[in-house]
Amino acid sequence: MKTTANIAFRNLSRQKKRTFLLGGAIAFGVMIVTLINGFAGAFSANVAENFSHLLAGHIFISGSEKLEGNDELSVIRDDAALQEAVKASGIDVRYMTRRSEFSGTLIFEGKKLRTNVAGVELDKELYLRQRLVLKEGSWDNMSQSQAIILSEKTAARLGVLVGDRILVQTQTVYGQNNVGELTVAGISYDSGILGQMVSYASLAYCNELIGLAPGEYQSMGILTASLKDADKAADILYAKLAESVSMFERQAKDENGAVTPFQRMVREQTKEEWAGVRYRLATINEMLSQVQQIVVALDTAAAVILVVLFLIIMVGIANTFSMVMFERIREIGTMRAMGVQRGGVRAMFLFEALFLAIGGAVAGIVLALIIMGAISLINFGMDSPAFIILKNGHLSFFLPPAKALLNIAIIAALSLVAVARPASNAARLDPAVALRTQK
Amino acid sequence: MGIVELTDLHKNYQLGKVEVPAVKGVSFSIEKGDFISIAGPSGSGKTTILNMIGLVDKPSSGEVLIEGKPTSALSDAELTRMRHQSLGFIFQSFNLIPVLNVWENIEFPLLLGQSRVSKEEKADWIDHLIDEVGLADWRMHKPNELSGGQRQRVAIARALVTRPLIVLADEPTANLDSATGEQIIELMKKINRELSTTFIFSTHDAKIVDIADHIIRLRDGLVTENYRRPESDRAGSVGGGSA
Repeated sequence: MKTTANIAFRNLSRQKKRTFLLGGAIAFGVMIVTLINGFAGAFSANVAENFSHLLAGHIFISGSEKLEGNDELSVIRDDAALQEAVKASGIDVRYMTRRSEFSGTLIFEGKKLRTNVAGVELDKELYLRQRLVLKEGSWDNMSQSQAIILSEKTAARLGVLVGDRILVQTQTVYGQNNVGELTVAGISYDSGILGQMVSYASLAYCNELIGLAPGEYQSMGILTASLKDADKAADILYAKLAESVSMFERQAKDENGAVTPFQRMVREQTKEEWAGVRYRLATINEMLSQVQQIVVALDTAAAVILVVLFLIIMVGIANTFSMVMFERIREIGTMRAMGVQRGGVRAMFLFEALFLAIGGAVAGIVLALIIMGAISLINFGMDSPAFIILKNGHLSFFLPPAKALLNIAIIAALSLVAVARPASNAARLDPAVALRTQK
Repeated sequence: MGIVELTDLHKNYQLGKVEVPAVKGVSFSIEKGDFISIAGPSGSGKTTILNMIGLVDKPSSGEVLIEGKPTSALSDAELTRMRHQSLGFIFQSFNLIPVLNVWENIEFPLLLGQSRVSKEEKADWIDHLIDEVGLADWRMHKPNELSGGQRQRVAIARALVTRPLIVLADEPTANLDSATGEQIIELMKKINRELSTTFIFSTHDAKIVDIADHIIRLRDGLVTENYRRPESDRAGSVGGGSA
């Protein structure tokens, strides 16, 4: 078998141009697929990481109070029990944030725009300051109690500049209409969809507008040491919280293994009958479950490309090896005469195709890694419209080694299938006929 | 009983709808250590008979016995095994494996099947054969770096490496100039004497026929002469004997 493999390997060098073209086609296909896999691999992590910084956390705890008439009030009035549970859980916390949020209409010189306003403690949210790059204005302006930071697009729609005063119309948590006044402290670069959707004001003024008392808030964000460990940390924290406070059930998989979309789960829980105060714990991954669907779609597209490309390459391999059989017919006859069994001839063809496929696939992966490395060196900037899929302004890739190995295995298997027929034909050759054949 | 026995051997080829007889009932016996020439013009059936003795082709009827063992009922795998164990082949076009060097080409048959011989013994034997065929300085060269005569020497060493009972050579000198051809035949004769290996070769070169101990002449698929030279009259070298 070693001899057969050795000859098969050396046979690849006999028609260098042909080997190069066929191997090159395999390499190209694998390179494309690897690039998509690499992009998809980093996509969900980058999106989750960026969202977690904008939303200030990997794990979120929000409070709900049941009012009369089954209405629900979103508030955390006293977080002592929550703080205690976080401490007792022993999870690695980088920092914790408190936020309130409302949906309202911003009004400036007759122009109206509906948006979400997050009330934040800007002196504590250092990560948000890093992610949100200001185009105009300054973070220092945010020390004014009624300051607001708008995204570039929001500001343009309203036609406001830094220093302009705008009206805000919203409802308190109890459903009463309320109006306030905000001063534009800064205009941030447009950071994707989320940047356009959310404006930032101070937590204290936000609470005032929505009718919460000072010290109260709606959502606690916990940024753990690493996004990867967030789900595990959430499990531990949830168990700890459940010991001291009443908790909503967490996202669960159904019998088919499918996860209920986060928003749907929240809607369903709202309809349930309960009383008092309850807390909901969710992770960024659960909230962004739709991002996972994009990753699945990208991976599916990569798999389809892989199969289509390789069906075409398979035809090339099958034709080439049929030609190879005729080119080496006397050689096959000689080997058979010397005592090589049919299986040996077949194995020689299969080995040759296998080496070609593995060589091409490895070259394709190496090429893809080089391209990924080169692309990831480009700095698109924190103000890029594609900010949400970038990692610190760079497009990043992550290729799970198992996926790369799986791609090589698929190519190898398909090549073996493609060459099976010519290999079988070569093995079945009558040695006398093969030796008689004049090339 | 001879080392090879052919009994009423027939071989027909199908050419479209027509069946063409190539061998029409041939019987003869070959003794161990024979240096036998199957001579005849083109199309007389030399190569067909050689292929049937070499178990690469099956007769349409009749029987080929190798060391008294009938071969017509053997499976492809058994025939292949028997070829490997008992037969060596030398071809007109040398048929070396182009990706292997001289040493590896000679080694190749030893790597097929199972062997109880140690690596060192194998290497010594290959080196001995390379020296014997005069290619000591060429052992690492690929076939395309050798002359026709050198390639045929490699083929001879390769045919002998498994120490076969019989070496079959199909027109071994046809692609060589006459001087090189004579050297090749001398070499085969020397090995025949030293190792008592039976050599069966097909040729239509009269000079080469002269050196054979046993001559089978064919015409139109039939034996026209089966002449065994008396011991006293056997040639030591090319041109040294008489027919």
